[in-house]
Amino acid sequence: MAAASEPHASAFSAAELEFLAEDEIIEIVPNLRMDPLNFISGDFGPFRPQIATQVPLWLAVALKKRGKCTIRAPEWMSVDKLAQVLESERDSEKFQPLPFHYVEISRLLFDHAREDIPDSYMVRSLIEDIKDVRFHKIGTGLEIISKERTYALRLKNLSAMEANIVRPFITRALETFYKLSSSEMIQDSDHMPNRQAQATNRGPRLPEYQYLLLLIFSGN
Amino acid sequence: MANYYDIDDILAEEELVPSVFQHNANGVGLFDSSDDTNKVEAGSRLELPFWVVRELYLRQLISIRVPPCFDTESKTREEIAADAAHVDLRSRCPYFYELGCKLAPLIGDKTIGPFLLVAFRIRYREVLIKAHTLTMTVAPKYLTLLTNEEAKLYEAGQCSIAAFKKWRIGGPRFQIAPVLGRKRKPT
Repeated sequence: MAAASEPHASAFSAAELEFLAEDEIIEIVPNLRMDPLNFISGDFGPFRPQIATQVPLWLAVALKKRGKCTIRAPEWMSVDKLAQVLESERDSEKFQPLPFHYVEISRLLFDHAREDIPDSYMVRSLIEDIKDVRFHKIGTGLEIISKERTYALRLKNLSAMEANIVRPFITRALETFYKLSSSEMIQDSDHMPNRQAQATNRGPRLPEYQYLLLLIFSGN
Repeated sequence: MANYYDIDDILAEEELVPSVFQHNANGVGLFDSSDDTNKVEAGSRLELPFWVVRELYLRQLISIRVPPCFDTESKTREEIAADAAHVDLRSRCPYFYELGCKLAPLIGDKTIGPFLLVAFRIRYREVLIKAHTLTMTVAPKYLTLLTNEEAKLYEAGQCSIAAFKKWRIGGPRFQIAPVLGRKRKPT
């Protein structure tokens, strides 16, 4: 992808992820009158004043910048819901289900539509806390792979930005562990008598793998 | 052979491995610079790059001695057993893991594999923490301890965190291309 000067850099830059996040649908309240807009991704409109309409985020931000609408915050972005999510994040070891692009969406909305979000300071600090807790959980998850022989790692409900941050690190780490473990297996096979030589040629056996590799984008 | 073009593989094979010649060899006095005759005696001990060593070993012209950093009684093993995270592997052998992986099947030393694995496991945890939390000012002292592989791992983590932080701060979404930077004065 663009701006990756070395082949092992993360597949997406942060700005590219934001671009992908802008396709999410959000509700706005326009204050202009306009005919339907026809795009490749769909038709949006017609826009009538004070009637709520569903549009993609990029269109909402563009209209907002020109002062033609107000954005209605998505329902997951309320103080109660986020406080609840934060509580459950802190209590459980799994990741809570959150919108896939919550980091990017929240940043875009805070940059362009801060006054449209009720209690924006609270919401912002809650989202930051949620992000920190999840990141810490990723850290513990990554530590686990050094304890047993893992060939793959599954992190359910990980958001796009978080997956993008850890992807290069974790793929290299898993590769190195795999390389080192397999040379160890070469040592083990030296003990076995020749009649079992065919068995070892099957490749490394996986008696203990703990997780499945799903570090491409998988929301669930 | 799969890594023929990989630069790190090539550099890893450049590392010196001590070996003992089994036969006399003419015309390769370059290896043994102690006297002027252009030959090497049988039984003389030399340090050769790994790629030479592997080929000569397969033709049974030399026998390999374990390099000091992997040796069973060496200081390195003791230090790693004591505190793997802070051992300065880069000064011993910057391609520690790669060389170990290549050497182990060749000389049939069965303890190298588990030893490397244990060392990497412990050091990996350190790299994990430091890559994601340290800023550039504090980092450089720790970086000198890491082997090449670990340094790349660290850098990967560091890069992505830095990019994320930079994005989060925000700023203009468009940047002027460097080509357009300076205005040219009309001469």
